[in-house]
Amino acid sequence: MFLNPRPTSISNFSGSLTGELFDMLKVKVLEDAEDRVSLQLDGVDRSYANAVRRFCLSEVPSMAIDDVVILENSSVLYDEILAHRLGMLPLKTDLERYILPEKCDCGTPLGCQKCRVLLVLDASAHEKTRTVYSGDLVSEDREISPISASIPVVKLAPGQTVKLEAYARLGRGKEHAKWQPATVSVLLDGKSEDSFVLKVESSGVLRPKEIVTKAVEILEEKLKEMQKEVSAKVE
Amino acid sequence: MSKQIRQLDSWVVLQDLLEKEGVARQHLNSYNEFYSRGLQSIVDEMGEVEVETVSTPYKVKFGKIEVGRPRVIEIDGSVSNVFPVETRLRNLSYAAPIYLDMTIEEEGLQREATRQHVGDLPVMVKSELCQLSKLAKEQLISAGEDPNDPGGYFIINGSERVIVGLEDLSPNKILVDLEKTGGVFSYKARVYSSVVGYRSKLEATLKQDGGINIKVPSCPIDLPFVIVMRALGIKSDKEIANSVSPKPEIQDLLEVSFDKASEAPTEKDALVYIGNRVAHGMLEEFRIKRAQSMLDWGFLPHLGKTDEKRYDKAMFLGEAIAKLMELRLGWIQPDDKDHYGNKVIKFAGQMLADLFRTAFRNLVRDMKYQLERTGQKRGGNVVGAAIRTGIITDKLNNAIATGNWGRGKVGVTQLLDRTNYLSTLSHLRRVQSPLSRSQPNFEARDLHATHFGRICPCETPEGVNCGLVKNLALSAIISVSVPAAEVEERLWELGAKSIRDVPDKLALDGTRIFMDGRFIGFVDDGERLAKAFRKLRREGQINPSASVMHYPPLNKRGYSRLYVSLSAGRVMRPLIVVEGGKPLLTQEMITKVASAELSWRDLVERGVVELIDANEEENSLVSMSAEEITSRHTHLELYPGAMFGISASVIPYPEHNQSPRNTYESAMAKQSLGFSSPTFPLSTFVRQHLLVTPQSALVRTKSTDLLKIAERPLGTNAVVAVLSFEGYNIEDAIIMNKSSVDRGFARSFFYRLYEAEAKQYLGGMRDTFEVPSPDSNIRGYRGEKFYRLLEADGVVMHEAQVQGGDVMVGRTSPPRFMEEYKEFEIKGPYRRDTSVAVRPTESGVVDAVFMTESVEGGKMFKVRVRDMRIPEIGDKFASRHGQKGVIGLVVPQEDMPYTEDGVVPDVIINPHAFPSRMTVGQFIESIAGKAASLRGTPADGTGFVGETVEDLGKIMKERGFEPTGREIMYDGKTGKKFAVDIFIGVVYYQKLHHMVVDKIHARARGQVQMLTKQPTEGRARGGGLRFGEMERDCLIAYGASMVLKDRLLDEADKAEVYVCEKCGLIAYYDAKQRRYACKVDGDSAKISTVVVAYAFKLLLQEMMSLNIAPRLRLRDKV
Repeated sequence: MFLNPRPTSISNFSGSLTGELFDMLKVKVLEDAEDRVSLQLDGVDRSYANAVRRFCLSEVPSMAIDDVVILENSSVLYDEILAHRLGMLPLKTDLERYILPEKCDCGTPLGCQKCRVLLVLDASAHEKTRTVYSGDLVSEDREISPISASIPVVKLAPGQTVKLEAYARLGRGKEHAKWQPATVSVLLDGKSEDSFVLKVESSGVLRPKEIVTKAVEILEEKLKEMQKEVSAKVE
Repeated sequence: MSKQIRQLDSWVVLQDLLEKEGVARQHLNSYNEFYSRGLQSIVDEMGEVEVETVSTPYKVKFGKIEVGRPRVIEIDGSVSNVFPVETRLRNLSYAAPIYLDMTIEEEGLQREATRQHVGDLPVMVKSELCQLSKLAKEQLISAGEDPNDPGGYFIINGSERVIVGLEDLSPNKILVDLEKTGGVFSYKARVYSSVVGYRSKLEATLKQDGGINIKVPSCPIDLPFVIVMRALGIKSDKEIANSVSPKPEIQDLLEVSFDKASEAPTEKDALVYIGNRVAHGMLEEFRIKRAQSMLDWGFLPHLGKTDEKRYDKAMFLGEAIAKLMELRLGWIQPDDKDHYGNKVIKFAGQMLADLFRTAFRNLVRDMKYQLERTGQKRGGNVVGAAIRTGIITDKLNNAIATGNWGRGKVGVTQLLDRTNYLSTLSHLRRVQSPLSRSQPNFEARDLHATHFGRICPCETPEGVNCGLVKNLALSAIISVSVPAAEVEERLWELGAKSIRDVPDKLALDGTRIFMDGRFIGFVDDGERLAKAFRKLRREGQINPSASVMHYPPLNKRGYSRLYVSLSAGRVMRPLIVVEGGKPLLTQEMITKVASAELSWRDLVERGVVELIDANEEENSLVSMSAEEITSRHTHLELYPGAMFGISASVIPYPEHNQSPRNTYESAMAKQSLGFSSPTFPLSTFVRQHLLVTPQSALVRTKSTDLLKIAERPLGTNAVVAVLSFEGYNIEDAIIMNKSSVDRGFARSFFYRLYEAEAKQYLGGMRDTFEVPSPDSNIRGYRGEKFYRLLEADGVVMHEAQVQGGDVMVGRTSPPRFMEEYKEFEIKGPYRRDTSVAVRPTESGVVDAVFMTESVEGGKMFKVRVRDMRIPEIGDKFASRHGQKGVIGLVVPQEDMPYTEDGVVPDVIINPHAFPSRMTVGQFIESIAGKAASLRGTPADGTGFVGETVEDLGKIMKERGFEPTGREIMYDGKTGKKFAVDIFIGVVYYQKLHHMVVDKIHARARGQVQMLTKQPTEGRARGGGLRFGEMERDCLIAYGASMVLKDRLLDEADKAEVYVCEKCGLIAYYDAKQRRYACKVDGDSAKISTVVVAYAFKLLLQEMMSLNIAPRLRLRDKV
């Protein structure tokens, strides 16, 4: 698994990944914007750097609508399409206050305050054709709502109504693309062999820096877990 | 100098043409002509019917025929007008009543003029009879129709049927041919003389000995030419010879013919000669009569069926022989049967005319019988009572519904292809050849130079129908028939001389004039006449559909001929007239056409644009572009891209592809899913697909606008990288990005319609819709769980999730007659479960439930089930360049390669897809698509005139991309840079309707056939997978005999039979006496059990039924 040429014994591994594993590691922030971050990583092995890149896409949790209870839908879009569209809406995510449903001990299928957010949509068109936007969703948690209020969800002709409850949950990109916090996550070759540039663009659900640090955190967690397992077996 | 028109611009004229005329114009014109004129002429032909009653014979005279509006008659007799939407939904036929005026004429007195309903005529959608033809766009929408629907098809019993165009050899045209049979050349002249509904082939053969034989279908034996001429009333030999040609070389060749005809020197002798052959052994008077009627009815019927026309027929025959002789002398060349000028295409109108004629004849015959049977009892509505409207209605409906036209003509109609909009359009422009698909017919399948601009060079199926099924090019216009009288008048005015009084000089060296297969006269200078004719036509004095061709001979001694064609069904194409080296179409006109101030019709009327058929094109020199025009050119191409048909015209950069790739794509585009019609919420097609997020292509062609394809798209733009990927895209597989799939890439719905009608049976019994109850003695009760989704009325609820086997419409039927008496039936009357259930291999959500009433008055349900199809491994996709492949792997985004900008491809195709296939067009499309994305406007990839790679390269360069379309990419798994740059761009991908879920199949054990007890065949019946001969061979070779026995016997149709060892015949077990018995040997039988295949047992018994006694000789195994 570990292709690191540097002599880093697994059993010796402890503490923070960023702090002790790489003596030579240097991180330089090339760009730090609202929606993107660009880091120059020096003195790190490609496999670690790439793991971080991949984790930005597949492991960092974010909020997305997962279950939709449709009470009424007389629009032209089928329930499944409507649900799919809602799922694709990027929701502002707070990783402090919410946990992944599988880690939650509530045990209920619809989740609890810690692992889900309820959003409600109740829209109908009367005289004129109307477009329902992401802003029409009412969230029970004001902090957790679509990143933009002007994403079209469905068009309603006069007389049509959409009434639904949507349950947003944390999830991971590896399960479904709607839970990918990053739209762009690339690792580019830098000037020298051990130098890379990590560019991450956020869909807006998390701050780009947050995505990267979280990715590193998860990597660290996983390594720790592995260390535990391996040392338990080796002894 | 006037402004030179640019080639690129003149396509707006074609756009106007397609917009005004529609893609189904050929069907509509043909049909409109049929109902407005054809019907009446068929009735007039019949004229009247004589009712021969004993006392007072009378006649029923037929008058005016008229067709009403499309309507439906309900079971209670109420009549209401219908729109196509309703007919599709209720399985009705879209038909209108035909009314015919009938007058009884008795002893010269006319009385009782009545208007009778004689039957129903299927109405072509959007024809003049159709209500939709009068509606504006908004009205069409509120009528539930797609405003872009081209029409041109029929609706019979709720299903849309097209009468595909039928290619046919030009009628009434003398075609000479040189045939080589066994080393001997034989010269032949053929004419397919045809009048509506009747055709008679005339064949004149030049024999080895110099004699000429005439073959007519109504005469069993060939007739010598001179005798036929004499019988036609040409008295002197000189006249006969001159009617062929006054030229001595030709007359010399006729000598043998005159010698051979010496036995019948007079007209009467000739008639008797013929009479002896057509009515052998009859009275002489009768024989002559038969010979005459043969000449009038069976011989060249297109010239007329009366005795006055015999002179014309003789002249025509003379001309046929003249051509034959000129061919013999090498003055002219054999005619080319594959030349499109020698072909016409028959559309719905002509096809229906054939059918209506026989149907009407049957009706009249039946009417006569009915009237004669009723005899004297007149008064009231006798005539009306004698008309059985079903004769015409059923004949027409059945023919269109089945495609069975009688006389062995099958497959005339087809179910309209509604896979996507393009496939519908293409289907309406399809042309079939009557040539047999089982014979090679190599030349007929080849692309011919005259196909240019008429028939698409790319779009034809592969395999048996290759080259026989064709598609009209965008520029093809089918001629409508032109009234002959006025054109003929013009010809006389222009100096033509009739054949009846032609000066000798003119007959010797003049040009022979033909009008629609009639030899009408001579003119001194044919070329001048042709030019004058064209001038008049350009001035609007002659119908633009009329065409003229001057055909000079190969050798000066031969005749030059001038053909004027006025018939319907010739394929013409619009060309810009060039005069004095300048095209008449100006930029100014083009601008006006673009702004709708002028229409293409105006241009035709002004003689700026001309419709040219394949024959007339032989007299033209057409320039491809305005720059290449010389003084010799007569025409300029309107728009070169119009040489393609519907399917091929949407291929971007087709000129960069290897030719067959365009053919493959033409076939594949018709299988791609898209947005076929905005009426899909109400559509009731048995199977239908809908792409959820279709996109119009980023790289378009002119015909995207021309045909409004952008409004009815059939694919998605995909970011495509050309790269290998761990072997998962070898052999044409493609890699798909899982995130793209998650986000809805190429997601589609599949709809299947289930139908249930409550039928009424004899004796007042009827089907009922209900939830079958377990306690009410219902045969075939499936079990409670299958009915769980039904509501109280016996029909499923909306939006219910259904699985294979779930009942959607609960229905019970009365017992079948045959099952009524069963020996041990004690439970009394029972009902059968005839519920409609979801197909065993399918599932989905109940999308729509339609409740309506059929024409028979029974309640009818149509339940539509939808199933969402998310791309998965095994689903088929294709680009627009004949590059098809199935998904080999769906890869998570983090594993996918990425560019420096973070672009991750949706699709990865293997580089091996290109070298041998040479679909360079796809590369250019890829670059164009990428440039279009960067620029923000679609790119034009029209064949021959699209944006060039150089221009596109510039756009890319400006935006910091490589003009080659290549980029640095990294492997997502390792984060390593690829050693080479990767070609990546945007290509339009089509999802084809072959999806794994519809094909996946496996079986361990299951159903067996009732007769043979072998496993059933096919997925739909849960069938087994055949362990065939070759597989068997493998096991034999391997020596795995136990496996072999297991497959072929134990797990197939193993059966035990009792065999009497004494007689070797099959014995049986007598259950009453509890012993084995043999019918032959009785008590002395020794019976053994033998294991055989059930099919073998069946064979033995079948042989026994044929009075063969197959005896098995048994021996102990050890």
